[in-house]
Amino acid sequence: MELNGGGGGGGWAGALSPAARYAESGGASLTWENLTAVLPGAGGRATKKLVQGVYGYAVPGRVVAIMGPSGSGKSTLLDALSGRLARNVLLTGKVLLNGKKRRLDYGVVAYVTQENVLLGTLTVRETVTYSALLRLPSSMSKAEVRRVVDDTLDEMGLRECADRNIGNWHLRGISGGEKKRLSIALEILTRPRLLFLDEPTSGLDSAAAFSVIETLRQLAVDGGRTVISSVHQPSSEVFALFDDLCLLSSGECVYFGDAKLAPQFFAETGFPCPSRRNPSDHFLRCVNADFDDVAAAMKGSMKLRAEADFDPLLKYSTTEIRERLVDKYRISEYAMMVRNTIHEISKIEGVIEEVVKGSQASWWKQLTTLTRRSFTNMSRDFGYYWLRIIIYILMAVCLGTIYYDVGTSYAAIQARASCGGFVSGFMTFMSIGGFPSFIEEMKMFTLERQNGHYGVAAYIISNFLSSMPFLLAVSWASASITYWMVKFRPGFSYFAFFALNLYGGVSVIESLMMIISALVPNFLMGLILGAGVIGIMMLTSGFFRLLPELPKIFWRYPVSYIVYGSWGLKGAYKNDLIGLEFEPMMPGQPKLTGEYIITKMMGLSLSHSKWLDLAMIFVLLFAYRLIFFLILKAKEAAAPYIRVAYTQFTIKRLERRASFRKTLAMSSMSKRHNQPSHPMAVQEGLNSPLPY
Amino acid sequence: MKKKQQQAAVGVVKAELEDGRGKAAVASSMVAPAALSPLSETLWREKAAAEFLGDVSARLAWRDLTVTVVVTGNGGGGGGETTATQEVLQGLTGHAEPGTMTALMGPSGSGKSTLLDALAGRLAANAFLDGTVLLNGRKANLSFGAAAYVTQDDNLIGTLTVRETISYSARLRLPDKMPTEEKRALVEGTIVEMGLQDCADTVVGNWHLRGISGGEKRRVSIALEILMRPRLLFLDEPTSGLDSASAFFVTQTLRGLARDGRTVIASIHQPSSEVFELFDRLYLLSGGKTVYFGLASEACQFFAQAGFPCPPLRNPSDHFLRCINADFDKVKATLKGSMKRRFERSDDPLDHIMTSEAIRRLITYYKNSQYYFAAQQKVNEMARVKGTVLDAGGSQASFWMQAFTLTKRSFINMSRDFGYYWLRLIIYIVVTVCIGTIYLNVGTGYSSILARGACASFVFGFVTFMSIGGFPSFVEDMKVFQRERLNGHYGVLAFVISNTISAMPFLILITFISGTMCYFMVRLHPGFTHYLFFVLCLYASVTVVESLMMAIASVIPNFLMGIIIGAGIQGIFMLVSGYFRLPHDIPKPFWRYPMSYISFHYWALQGQYQNDLKGLVFDNQNDELPKIPGEYILENVFQIDVNRSKWLDLAVLFSMIVIYRLLFFAMIKASEDVTPWVRGYIARRRVQRGKKGRGGAHRGAADRSPSLRAYVVDAGDDGLPAEHP
Repeated sequence: MELNGGGGGGGWAGALSPAARYAESGGASLTWENLTAVLPGAGGRATKKLVQGVYGYAVPGRVVAIMGPSGSGKSTLLDALSGRLARNVLLTGKVLLNGKKRRLDYGVVAYVTQENVLLGTLTVRETVTYSALLRLPSSMSKAEVRRVVDDTLDEMGLRECADRNIGNWHLRGISGGEKKRLSIALEILTRPRLLFLDEPTSGLDSAAAFSVIETLRQLAVDGGRTVISSVHQPSSEVFALFDDLCLLSSGECVYFGDAKLAPQFFAETGFPCPSRRNPSDHFLRCVNADFDDVAAAMKGSMKLRAEADFDPLLKYSTTEIRERLVDKYRISEYAMMVRNTIHEISKIEGVIEEVVKGSQASWWKQLTTLTRRSFTNMSRDFGYYWLRIIIYILMAVCLGTIYYDVGTSYAAIQARASCGGFVSGFMTFMSIGGFPSFIEEMKMFTLERQNGHYGVAAYIISNFLSSMPFLLAVSWASASITYWMVKFRPGFSYFAFFALNLYGGVSVIESLMMIISALVPNFLMGLILGAGVIGIMMLTSGFFRLLPELPKIFWRYPVSYIVYGSWGLKGAYKNDLIGLEFEPMMPGQPKLTGEYIITKMMGLSLSHSKWLDLAMIFVLLFAYRLIFFLILKAKEAAAPYIRVAYTQFTIKRLERRASFRKTLAMSSMSKRHNQPSHPMAVQEGLNSPLPY
Repeated sequence: MKKKQQQAAVGVVKAELEDGRGKAAVASSMVAPAALSPLSETLWREKAAAEFLGDVSARLAWRDLTVTVVVTGNGGGGGGETTATQEVLQGLTGHAEPGTMTALMGPSGSGKSTLLDALAGRLAANAFLDGTVLLNGRKANLSFGAAAYVTQDDNLIGTLTVRETISYSARLRLPDKMPTEEKRALVEGTIVEMGLQDCADTVVGNWHLRGISGGEKRRVSIALEILMRPRLLFLDEPTSGLDSASAFFVTQTLRGLARDGRTVIASIHQPSSEVFELFDRLYLLSGGKTVYFGLASEACQFFAQAGFPCPPLRNPSDHFLRCINADFDKVKATLKGSMKRRFERSDDPLDHIMTSEAIRRLITYYKNSQYYFAAQQKVNEMARVKGTVLDAGGSQASFWMQAFTLTKRSFINMSRDFGYYWLRLIIYIVVTVCIGTIYLNVGTGYSSILARGACASFVFGFVTFMSIGGFPSFVEDMKVFQRERLNGHYGVLAFVISNTISAMPFLILITFISGTMCYFMVRLHPGFTHYLFFVLCLYASVTVVESLMMAIASVIPNFLMGIIIGAGIQGIFMLVSGYFRLPHDIPKPFWRYPMSYISFHYWALQGQYQNDLKGLVFDNQNDELPKIPGEYILENVFQIDVNRSKWLDLAVLFSMIVIYRLLFFAMIKASEDVTPWVRGYIARRRVQRGKKGRGGAHRGAADRSPSLRAYVVDAGDDGLPAEHP
């Protein structure tokens, strides 16, 4: 911990640069040299250099800010350093952690994404506690976990709002700054030495942004952590909190070094920061090529007029300024200093802590925690199940009054069949109402899975278990209302069958919708696709067209057997009709028995019992969940192969082409992610406090 | 002509000079009339040519402006609702003059937006205004469209290009008499003025189309509002969500607009240094009170005098907000360890004093400063001079022009938006192929009787059901409508009619393609009129569902709720349609009597059964028994009255379309007129009850134009009015 820990070498300690002295104090020091990331263009497009020959370091106790205009490669650099680079980006150069080359894979370092993916119904403390239980070793006692949670909440200044809800589309919750600090809290639970953040202040007002960066500094200084954060447009106070600055423009490094010295560098190059200006605004103004477009457009609209000399910077085009800065920096003493420091840091033998990847909790612990969390979320989110329960009950009452006391007349045969068809078809159909919640949950899963918090199997089983009580409640409530009002066959076992049958149907549809939400992450597409699939399922279930009449090829043979509806209906008919006698069509003819109706009128066989039909639904349920599992696994498994194949393909192509160096204006691909995404994305619509 | 023009411009400069301070900075930038942009030149010319000459600029002054919001909530334990009033703005005085740009600044929750709304006459129904707002010395009445107001979110139609967006808007609002050439010139002029030349032919962009950038969108929104050449322009946070270059561009454009003689007032959240330097006047608010009002360039001086000098290398606006943002107290309170020590060691005076204390000091200092007296004097002066009454903006186009333009625009949008109808067309075809193969060549066997019935009910029940897929697009449409409606671009009737007409070709296409496929694959009753009936019936049903969903979208702008409610209603309609339960068996009270007649499925099925079965002869259970005629089945199996013509059923369906459209119209009207009125009435009653004895009835509350919004004041962390429609 001693700052002059250079040892007996006398003068050596003094020769170390300040940054290197920090590095010596232990913890994680990261250096990168000549880092270049290339995005190979697919098809006819040219390749793009996202980041080009960047040098730098990050040492414990200091906060590094990566700044630059949109599209300058901030996120790419951050991703490259944290080992999260998109699959199709090629990376060359050296990234060393404590002087050693190592893979910083998912879960090894903490990475806080720009978007806060949180379950809105949980309180702050619950969120942190569940995350702790999911990832901390199962051997830790409850008290220990609680202590860790409390410490983290304290550290992030979340004590005051610890028991408040995070908030979602219908609940008012904590503020944006608190959400961001909560996201950070989740990442520092496992005490990582290295923390990456992608634009933690975007969308926050100045006080909230200040509080977030202040907390980061606290984590760095008091906790001895290494913090690297990209930041978009810091206000003056926020900028003053950064220690080191990495200023990028079009992928090239304009400045790396002490943030305090940056104004000096700009002044030396001939672009001094005016005194009434935020330095970071000034830097961005100097290197943001978009200002050229602005100037051009303004000239076009003849707006400059007498104001032409209003901004001295407009004398030069930003592109010129940028080039001058980049060239000047390359040969400046600042660059020299950085290289020296990198050299020194890489010589220091840091203690490399073995960071355990992902979760240390046992599978069983993960499962119970996830189930509990998911259950809490479902029970508090009004839109997840409660809304549907209300709708189901209303529908059941409607159904009950329409088929009230159906009786055993001839017309009742048809009525009973329709009632069964409507229950199995339409009632299960309403499950699509849960789709937005599924998408939210999938987002959460994707993020946590990437961070290695838990396994796919644990997730799927927990999802099944936690939804079970609600689905049972839904089906039990609507079944009992319908059953007693319509006066189906009396007898508990008949009622139980009816309710279980409904439960099976609803669960199967639920699983189907989960599969769809894993495949299509878009609300609109998912909804239409889901409705289409359910519609086809209804059509082949034997109600709209009797099973024996279904065309044999395709519809009868695979489809009607895969579809839960056919089993559900068969079971329901057998449950309801066998043993009953109905009035004949013409008075005087013999009474019609249930068996006769099923075999002759419905064309079903009585060779197996209704319980077998019910069992088949549960088999299907299991199969669908298995498919869901396989799809999630496949999505994960396929990713690296695609990546490898794509990279190989690109390398081959690059070898063939000489003009590899060609760089393109970044503007076309970049501007996207700083813009608020379109409100059409319903995920968005649900996060925002409702109506516009 | 030229002279008049000069006079006008000189008048502007003079007004600025009268201001007495800091003229050098501002006036220098408006030297010659030649500086006017082409668009504004036409503006001057036209106004000058009008019968009465003189000053057509807008001078806005406000004195002792206090806004009170009635808060209804379950605050504080006790049972039942509690009513509280909260002063969101307290005694504000200020003015805005032509040729200048005034920025309203303050931390979130300081009342920026409320002040803007109060000045623009857009306060929500539960907010009450005390004090005076004077436009050219007269009591301002800025209702729908009189002043341009650019809201924070750009609700634009994503599939139109920038040029299309602007020119449709021009056609919607400019007088019919104006020649097309002139309109086009005006549109092009606006495009150039807003610096949108480069992206003029790019689409705006939506969830599946990549479009223009955020800054460009914002400029398009502004362009739409300046089309009618308003003298007064209000903007709510025009730079929020933009990066520094775009924000700079937007503000620069606004400054240009102001320099042409307009009065620009904008609320701004956190301007960057470049943006801040573009403001002429600054109105700094904290907690609803004035911290500073005066020239933006003198604000630093004011803060220095008050004891809070802006440190070097700091953006003045950051500094001001740092001084007056009470949230910093909270941040400081949570600091620990080294950060706390750092604060204690710091030599910045701000780090040693509570922000709330700083705010108090600044407000007191301002009250006694020359700036405050100068402002008061100026306002009094402006109140004395009675100027021109500005003509109301709003649309000058005729109803037919509006309806025609809207129809065209809506049609283009529908044809370009993949999710609106094309996606549904694909799904319809897929589903129809499935239906077609399942009921392939249904024939006239005994079992085909039920199959035909099931097929019809599936087609009319389920296929129409898929219309809910268009719900998100409807909601988007409604958002655009609401923005344009608030700005008085067109009437409700024009919107409803255009929406109906533009959707027609697509619905016809969809239903004819899927209807034809279904009809011929299943081989329903042969004959052209039978085919026509089937397709028309399908078309009518789909249109009814569409209208129903539109009506729902106008009331419930939330996807999830809308879809669930829509699905529920359709489910019930289907249940009483006569397929799931035979008509005679449906319980008479409620379900049979009003419900099954309201259900469009019922009429569609009645018609289609007749259409399909009448005239056909079916096999019996075995060959010995006589064949069964369709009429017998209709009467005894499906329980349908064969005496009523199937065409009558179709006519009922079509009249339902009209009814639902009328309902849609009524719903919009209701939410526009009745809801704010009711809300305002309740709030007024509450205030009167609460303020008995305290006196001070709220003037202006009654004669204000209804607003679709309500203020919600939360006692929570933000503690300020967030807007909800």
